[in-house]
Amino acid sequence: MKTRWIRLCLGAALAAGLTTGAQAAELTASEAGGADLSATLNKENAELKIEVKPVDLVDDMAYLRRVSVDLIGRIPSHGEIQEYMAWAPAERRSKIVDKLMADPRFVDRWTTFFSDMLRLRSNSPGGAAAQAFVHQALQDDMPYDELAKRFISANGKAGAVPEVAFVLGDNADPMALAGATAQIFMGLRISCAQCHDHPFDKWTREDFYGFAAYFGKTRRYENDFTNTVYTQEVAASSVLWPPQGDAPDSERKPVDPQFLVGLIEASAKPQFIARLDKKRKTEAELAEAALAATEKADSIDDLLLDAADTALKASKGRGKSSFDIAAEVKKDRESIDLTAAMNKASKSRTALADLIASPRNRYFARSFVNRVWADLIGRGFVEPIDDFSESNTPTHPQTLDFVADEFVASGFQFKPLIKMIVTSEPYQRGQAVGLSQLDQEELQAAFLASPARRMLSEVMYDSIITAGHLFDYKHPKGANMKTVTDRIRVAVPREGGELAAVPQDLAAASAQGAAMKARMAGQPQMRRPGYNLEAGIELDFDAVLKQAKEEASETVQVEKMVVKSSEELEAERMLTDTSNRRRFRYVYKTVERTFDDNPMFGSSFRMASPANPEHFIRIFGQTDRTQVGVPRDHAPSMRQALMMLNGKMTHEASRVGPFEPMHKLLSAKQPKLDQAVELAYLEILTRKPQAEEVELAKSIVNDGESVLEGMADLRWVLLNSNEFRYLP
Amino acid sequence: MKGCLDYQFSRRAMLGSTAATLMGFSIRDLLAATGRDHKPTAEHVIFFWNGGGMTHLDTWDPKPGRPTQGEFEPIDTSVPGMQIGEIFPEFARQMHNVALVRSIAGTQGAHGRATYQVQTSYSQSANLIHPGFGSVVVHEKDQLGDLPAYVTISGQAPRASYLGQKCAAYFVGSPGDKDPYLAFPEGITSVRGNKRLETLARFNSRFAGKTTSEELGATRTSVDEAVRLMRSPALKAFELDHIPLTQFERYGDTPFGRGCMVAKQLVETGVRFVQINRGGFDTHSNNFEAMRNHGEIMDPALGSLIGDLSESGLLEKTLVVMLSEFGRTPKINKDAGRDHYPAVFSCFMAGGGIKGGQVIGSSDEDGYQPKDRPVKIPDLHATLCHALGIDPDKEVMTPLQRPMKLVDNGSPVLELFG
Repeated sequence: MKTRWIRLCLGAALAAGLTTGAQAAELTASEAGGADLSATLNKENAELKIEVKPVDLVDDMAYLRRVSVDLIGRIPSHGEIQEYMAWAPAERRSKIVDKLMADPRFVDRWTTFFSDMLRLRSNSPGGAAAQAFVHQALQDDMPYDELAKRFISANGKAGAVPEVAFVLGDNADPMALAGATAQIFMGLRISCAQCHDHPFDKWTREDFYGFAAYFGKTRRYENDFTNTVYTQEVAASSVLWPPQGDAPDSERKPVDPQFLVGLIEASAKPQFIARLDKKRKTEAELAEAALAATEKADSIDDLLLDAADTALKASKGRGKSSFDIAAEVKKDRESIDLTAAMNKASKSRTALADLIASPRNRYFARSFVNRVWADLIGRGFVEPIDDFSESNTPTHPQTLDFVADEFVASGFQFKPLIKMIVTSEPYQRGQAVGLSQLDQEELQAAFLASPARRMLSEVMYDSIITAGHLFDYKHPKGANMKTVTDRIRVAVPREGGELAAVPQDLAAASAQGAAMKARMAGQPQMRRPGYNLEAGIELDFDAVLKQAKEEASETVQVEKMVVKSSEELEAERMLTDTSNRRRFRYVYKTVERTFDDNPMFGSSFRMASPANPEHFIRIFGQTDRTQVGVPRDHAPSMRQALMMLNGKMTHEASRVGPFEPMHKLLSAKQPKLDQAVELAYLEILTRKPQAEEVELAKSIVNDGESVLEGMADLRWVLLNSNEFRYLP
Repeated sequence: MKGCLDYQFSRRAMLGSTAATLMGFSIRDLLAATGRDHKPTAEHVIFFWNGGGMTHLDTWDPKPGRPTQGEFEPIDTSVPGMQIGEIFPEFARQMHNVALVRSIAGTQGAHGRATYQVQTSYSQSANLIHPGFGSVVVHEKDQLGDLPAYVTISGQAPRASYLGQKCAAYFVGSPGDKDPYLAFPEGITSVRGNKRLETLARFNSRFAGKTTSEELGATRTSVDEAVRLMRSPALKAFELDHIPLTQFERYGDTPFGRGCMVAKQLVETGVRFVQINRGGFDTHSNNFEAMRNHGEIMDPALGSLIGDLSESGLLEKTLVVMLSEFGRTPKINKDAGRDHYPAVFSCFMAGGGIKGGQVIGSSDEDGYQPKDRPVKIPDLHATLCHALGIDPDKEVMTPLQRPMKLVDNGSPVLELFG
């Protein structure tokens, strides 16, 4: 996907991807691998005089389960297990990593990682577009420094400029943004210093205000009537010193932006920066060659031609004169400038972004690789992962720097970083079972044993669907007919008599209008009796991005804001509302309906996120993403138990569908119980059952009303078991 | 057993709560010394949330004869001299049980920020989310019986934030409907379901030696708690199947009426805090028509609820309160609407030690400013704390070890308690 990234670099004007496959391969080649990382860690452990014996690496099946969960966000299917085990043992692990990183689900899974980190919320202004943007950036291998710079510096309309969601995440409040930006991108917690010098760290209030000053000229604007939110740069900074209340307002002066930490001096050229420079130079040369090879590049004239073309098309059938068309062209041209002015990245935040995302800022790469490391290993070099300070130093500074430097030298490439970690020994270590807690802690702290990790809520959800064959229909049409009694709302004219029935559908009522609906690929299924806290609303990332692009080139929105007063718009809105309200009222009626309740679920990684507070995903730990640095809470709760014991998803995953391989084994004249039990274990736990487990499992299957029902009982137990949710 | 910090903690939660308890003790001792501890007058709260900003002038604070009066006439109530808007004829009969506060002085005029403050007592800040008042209550008061201590009906409650997920509200989407998560899935008999549970316990104990997870015990407890709730006879409190039709009619047979009926049953069963959510009060246009509709829905339910609670004696220990994010402009706009207005607005409180039949504070003759006894938003929370015997100044620790008071510096409106 390298070619696509280069195209992005050069902007939309460069129409075609032109690098060759060979050049692309050369660019993505990673220089250091998991083995180098393991060696660095072992050396550092030796220097730290850690002499405990490491726990062995996990076996191939456990590795497959771990790496599938971590890279594509679900357990492997039976087919995937078979394919993997058919490979030569020596190449299995590296081959599966490459395969999984090329899987489209890799991008889905890690978009969630970034959405957590950047607190992106689908339902906040521009949030869904920002998630779609991250998704696209991961697909295109956008370097992390570029990604970070865009989020830190963007200005513009929410949605149309997807990256602006980061700044809008804190309503563009300079103080909040200062705290969030330092913590998210550098692992520095400076928020306390907003009100007082930091109690446990070196940060003073003046440090904080100096850093906040980078955000002082950014303003958030909102138009309730056109439903648009955007940010813009203004001349005057709102960050003044001394702080409010400490001095009369007349004495408070704008603060000069001041960066928090020192960078590696420009005269010094550490090897990893030299490697990065060389790599970037090669990339630039390739891009230039690509540009030269392009016969025709879009100029401003082409854009104008396009605009004329658009106007012409738009005018067809509306009887516009050529004069109108000329006027529209002119308007289009103005709008291009207007949009450009509005979307211009913030100057001071661009300066900040260059400092933060510089290869010479050690905190930038260190904090990010520590975050990724902790996600994959279960424990960071620094914990909490976003709290780097003099009193909270890394356990393994050399290993952390090795990973960080390799990451920088690779051109801030995400995939090589992941690959290096998951092919290293610390990732592959087993758990220190049977040891005292003290010994466990010692091994885990030295990365010589893996801590127990529970699957992320999204992973659990998708893994239940995978194990239960619920991504697709597993029952024939009409095999699950159900009749439900529903209360519906019926509109009746105020005089009496019926008009039309409106289903009292919670999902439809909460959907934000037709535009939102159009972007939801998978419409919520028909309302079931009671509430369904497991079904989700799917976001189509491509559609969201497409809409963002359309909005960015759209002039109507801006026009409306200027031409129509808010009162006019409100009056329009009310007109439509009241005309309805006066004519009829609603009464409730009980009706019966029948529908085919054939279960199928979509991936939770594609759901609008964060989900509703009562949804499965939230109950199992997804945060509401309103605050920076709140880790997911994986502590068990009663609500989790209710969801798993009684939820529709676990229930349907347990039932055996006729289209499943399991069904064939059990519906044979002589049911193949041994094979069926083995399949159940492989599909749910990614391992073969031990001999005594087979006997126990068979007795459960035989105990059922039929072997199919008995198998449903076994699968329900396996899905609910601790072994399912905690990684091997 | 503590209402929501009940069974198991993760290591992280433990660290936070230990500090909080230590801090809590010292503060509590201090306060005991200054004599602010007293016997609670309320054990339960029914909290009505009217989203959108309900007009105070057309409900609890009518301005007859003034240009700001609007289309409604005030009506007499069961308390001589105490009048409310005409849309509440049934509720008016209960006014001897109800106190009105007519001098709430708000500061926030936008929905989000005002909702946040009224529901948490704190101003919205970028760095920290504050827990809703229901979470505060169940953090401080023991759970009674099997049901969750905090239930929210027909809408979302504010977050529990640093008080922990266990202080979050239990969600009931459609009051009276069976919650499918509280019973085995369709088609699974209880015999079969129980057998599954037994097998699950066996599988989990076999697995115990194969992981270093510290949370296996908590997982088991969570299943035990879930099963206890599923088997609890108290679950009937969520259902309305057994209620005669005449009762439905008394309450108005609307989702709101059913919410009130369920709330009453929940409180009877021991639930500490029930929040009933309702929207549609943002009446920028056609305020009077909208409020007439609201009256038709709310009046029979509120009248019957207060009446029934009073009759059964439960009102003595159940505090019923109705709040909204702000009031609405005294000036009626050209669309016959009223816009956002936080400077002064009203609420009602009843039961749980509140002395009925009285009015606290007043607004000026046109309803623009508080005239006397201004009540700040945190004062309302402190008042509820006072009734429940909760120290509003008790401090709890956030995950970043920042001490936070349960209520943002409020003082109880003691006159309410007579």
